[in-house]
Amino acid sequence: MLPQVLIVDDDQSWLLLISKELEAYAASFSIRIAYSAEKALALLRQQHIMLVISDLRMPGMDGFDLLAQILENYPDLPVIIVTAYDRPKTKEVVFRSGAAGYLTKPFAKEQLGREITKMLHKKAEGGNLHNVSLETFLQLVEMEQQTCTLQVINKTGKTGGVLFFRDGELINARICDRQGKKAAYEILSWSNVSVSIENACVFSEKIIEGDLQAILLDAMRSKDENEDKARQHTEEAGEAGEAGEAGDFAAEADDSQAFASQAGNSSAETEAEAEDEAQELSDNSSKSGEGEGVNASEKSAESNTELSEGPEEQISVVESIRRRLARVLGNYRGVEDVYTDGTWDALLTESAKIGEVFGFGQLNVIYASKAEKRQYLVVPGEETTIIAITAGASRDRIIGAVS
Amino acid sequence: MKDLFKDVLGIEGVHGVLLFTENGNLSFSQFTAVYQSDENLIKTVDWSVVINELSGITEAEMMFDAGRLYFRKSSFGCLLVVLDDHAPVSMVRLNCEVLMPTLDKQKVGKGFGQLLRKKIF
Repeated sequence: MLPQVLIVDDDQSWLLLISKELEAYAASFSIRIAYSAEKALALLRQQHIMLVISDLRMPGMDGFDLLAQILENYPDLPVIIVTAYDRPKTKEVVFRSGAAGYLTKPFAKEQLGREITKMLHKKAEGGNLHNVSLETFLQLVEMEQQTCTLQVINKTGKTGGVLFFRDGELINARICDRQGKKAAYEILSWSNVSVSIENACVFSEKIIEGDLQAILLDAMRSKDENEDKARQHTEEAGEAGEAGEAGDFAAEADDSQAFASQAGNSSAETEAEAEDEAQELSDNSSKSGEGEGVNASEKSAESNTELSEGPEEQISVVESIRRRLARVLGNYRGVEDVYTDGTWDALLTESAKIGEVFGFGQLNVIYASKAEKRQYLVVPGEETTIIAITAGASRDRIIGAVS
Repeated sequence: MKDLFKDVLGIEGVHGVLLFTENGNLSFSQFTAVYQSDENLIKTVDWSVVINELSGITEAEMMFDAGRLYFRKSSFGCLLVVLDDHAPVSMVRLNCEVLMPTLDKQKVGKGFGQLLRKKIF
């Protein structure tokens, strides 16, 4: 499976042209395309993408919003911003926002090709290993106390995942938008893999508890169980004369999160079809009331919180906002504190007056950033509630959760 | 001055810009052709009180049912951008960021007069 590069732009003709031009690099990477940031996020939730290239100005969610979402949910995924909107400070702001690269349109395909190749090489700067025993290799990483990011490609299922090591400890894992122990178990259960090594790790906090040996043992047990089930399934299918259709159940189990048909080439038509499927998923996600980037663990957090909220329970405004944030943001740690503070009342009053002048209706929330980089959300109500936002956290994500 | 705000005003969903001195005096305002603003109503607002309440705040966004106000403070005074609900806020932020060095070079009042002459004449 070749590394997949996702290109996002609302200019469909440019997108088709550039993906056609990049076919010259078909031996090195394959191209996926998305006509909007929303569709790109839907694809990211389903597929193992190794690099994103995004336009800046797009209707709806723009390149900055997409970049912020990627930094939140896929922090190891590099993003190159391409734009025709080149102003003296644009590049600086783009890099400050967390982009890994910046290109000004128009550019030659070779220039983009070079950038992509450079980024992908960085993902494999520590080397590539093919047909390795993942367990043995991970024990080596642990023994040598390596800090690295491993891109693991499951050759059987043609999907991939990422393992994050800091000082030899497995601290996190990611398959598409799923992170943590379950993602690690799934990756460790893959039999036929290739591994690319990057000598850096974006995570510093240990998300996966337990030592590597215990995790490996659990993963092996899970793998054995899957293989048993696969054997049983094949036997049953064989008895029913359907052995051919059953195929490799183990591979299917491995790929339970795998995406729809992927030929491994950069045919724009094929990509567009897959994209439509991704869009459907995105629509379904929206219909179910989930915001973009809300992953499975967050959904779980939401349902847990809902259960804890009894209809007759009397809760304070602060507690209500805390619960709402927990419900929508899940494990996200962008909120420092929630409290009431009347010193913001005058600002709320004056802001509400201006809103009336412009015919904007009711004031819902104010975002305020102070000189010392402190960020706050001020929520009007019987008591003014303040949400202190952690420095560097995504304001838009928290605003979205409150509004 | 109109040229200066051309990019911000060109963003879809941006209705207008207002520029204030540090004391809250309205020194410039411009709205897009499609936006129906009541200039007289805007003049009735005591902006000095609003700007005073925003002291200590470098950047703010006020989110309403049907629109947003983006506030940005710098050494020249304060910039207020009027947006509808669907405007790409991050593009507005970027444009304001880009504008800041140019505006910072100007002294509100006399400087803006010079800028106006330079841009228009």
